[in-house]
Amino acid sequence: MSETVTLTLRSALDRDLVALGLTADRCAAAGAKQIAELPVFYGGQPARVGDFFAIQGERAARLLLVGDLTRASGIGAGMTGGDLVIEGHVGRDAGAWMSGGTIDIHGDAGDNLGGAAPGASRGMTGGEIVVRGRAGTDAAASLRRGLIVIAGDAGDRMGQRMIAGSVLLCGKTGRGAGRWIKRGSIVSLAPIERPATFRYACTYQPPHLSVTFLYLRKRYGLSIDHRYVAGRYARYSGDLAELGKGEILEWVG
Amino acid sequence: MEIRGVTIEDTFAEAFTMHAARIVITGRNMRWAREAALKLTGFATSVIGCKCEAGIERELPASDTPDGRPGVSVLFLTMDADSLGKRLIERLGQTVLTCPTTACFDGLPKAPDRLTVGKALRVFGDGFQASKVIGGARYWRIPVMEGEFLVSESFGRQTGVGGGNFLILAGDADAALAAAEAAVGAIEPMEGVVLPFPGGVVRSGSKVGSKRYKKLLATTNDAFSPTLRAITTTAVPDGVNCVLELVLDGLDDAAISAAMAAGIRAACIDGVRAISAGNYGGKLGPHHFHLRRILTPAS
Repeated sequence: MSETVTLTLRSALDRDLVALGLTADRCAAAGAKQIAELPVFYGGQPARVGDFFAIQGERAARLLLVGDLTRASGIGAGMTGGDLVIEGHVGRDAGAWMSGGTIDIHGDAGDNLGGAAPGASRGMTGGEIVVRGRAGTDAAASLRRGLIVIAGDAGDRMGQRMIAGSVLLCGKTGRGAGRWIKRGSIVSLAPIERPATFRYACTYQPPHLSVTFLYLRKRYGLSIDHRYVAGRYARYSGDLAELGKGEILEWVG
Repeated sequence: MEIRGVTIEDTFAEAFTMHAARIVITGRNMRWAREAALKLTGFATSVIGCKCEAGIERELPASDTPDGRPGVSVLFLTMDADSLGKRLIERLGQTVLTCPTTACFDGLPKAPDRLTVGKALRVFGDGFQASKVIGGARYWRIPVMEGEFLVSESFGRQTGVGGGNFLILAGDADAALAAAEAAVGAIEPMEGVVLPFPGGVVRSGSKVGSKRYKKLLATTNDAFSPTLRAITTTAVPDGVNCVLELVLDGLDDAAISAAMAAGIRAACIDGVRAISAGNYGGKLGPHHFHLRRILTPAS
C-alpha cells in the first residue's frame, strides 16, 4: 500500500486511447499487477494499461497520471471516489458520469468534461473536477450534481441541459452556455453570452460563492482574486424554456 | 488555600452533562454578526426558564470563517439531544435568518451526530430555495428580500457541560462586581466555554426546589444570600455582604476547568473575602470541579 499510485506515460500516444476504467477508486482497490491489467482500447484494439504506463505504487486512494493524455478519453469516467490528479492535458469524457471523488487536471481537458454517457440523460452526479487550463465543448453537459471548475476558457454548449450542480468558469465560453438547464448554477468571472431564455433578476453578492472560492483556494491552491470573492454578480434566471430554477451568475465587479 | 489573601474554600462546583452545538455567524462586518449573535443568545441564561443556555464564545476574524467575513462563534446547549435541534430551528429562524447580511455555519463539522437545522429552515424559501454542496458539506441558499441567507444544512451535536460555577464572596457590592468583571474579562477570550448570564454574572444563584412553594423548580439560594444570614442556615462568612456567581457552560471538562481557574485567579482582588462554589452534595451532576484542584497545576 502506498499514498499515491503514479502512472507515467511511457511515450507519446499516436492513436486514440480509450481508458474508461482508469479511475482513482479502481486503483485504490488494486495491486500494481491488477492496475497493469486494466483493459483499454488503443486505436480500436484491446490493450492494457501496463502497455502504456509505468506504474508506481498500489492500493492508494490518490491516482496521479503524468504525461500528455490529450488523445486519452474517458479517464475518470464513472469514478465514485478518491482523488485523481492529472499532470498534463487530458482528452474527451474526463470525469464523465462520475459520482464522487475529485479530479484535478493540471492542463487542458477535452470535450464532454463531466458529461453524460452517449444516450444518457445525466452527466456527472457528484464530486469535483478542477481544470487548470481550458475545456472543450459540452463541459458539464447534463450535470446532475457536483462542482466543475474551469480556470481557462470553455468551448460551446457549456452546462447545456444541466439538471443541478455548479460550474465555475474563469475564462470565456462559446455559444449556448446554459441552454435548457433546469436547476444549477453557472458562475462566470468573465462576460458570458446567455441564451435569450434567461431573464435578469438582480445584482448582488451570492453568499455561497465566497464559501466556494475560499474552499477552492484551500483545497486546490487556486489563486482566486479577492475581487471575485467579495464581488457582485448579476443573476440571470433560466432556462425559462425549461424549469427556470437555474441561474447564470456573471461577475460585474 | 489562599490567592492574594482570598480564601479558596475546599468545595466543588457540580455541573451537568448537556448537549451542545457551536454556531458560527458571519456578517458584512462584526457589527451585524454580533447583532445576530446577541439576539440568538438572548433569553438563554438557564434551562430552568429558557429551555436552553447560550453565549458568545468569541469573535472570529475574517480569516477564520468559511466565507471570509468577520464572525461570531456561539455555544448553544440544552439538557436533552432532541430539544437542541428544536431550539436551534426556532432561534436561528427568528434571529439569524432575519438579520441583515448574516450567514450561519456549523461550528462542529467533525461531530458525527447531526442536527438538520438548515434543512428545516430551508422551507422558508417556499420552494425557491436551492442547495449547494461545497467541500462535502451541504448548504441551503434561502432567498430573502435582502438577497440570500446561507445556512449549513446540518449542525454537529456533542455532549457538553453546563453549570460550572464559582461564587465571589465580597465585603461589599462594589468589590464583588469588580471581581466578577475581572473574572469575566479573563474567561471571555477562552475557547470552548461561555458565560450565559447577563454580562457573564449571576446575582440570583438558585437552589433546587423550594422550601415553601412546591411547584417551583428553583428558588433563591438562601444559604448564600447575605440578607438572610440571620434567619437561615447560612454559608455567608463574617464580613461578607455581597455574593455574585459566574456560571460556565462549555464543550468539555477541560474547557470549564481552565476557565474557572482563570476566572477565580482574576477575581481574587481587594475586598473579596472568599471564593466558593455551588453544588448539590455531588448527587445530581456528574461533573465535579474542585476549586483547589483546578487551581493547583498538575505536577
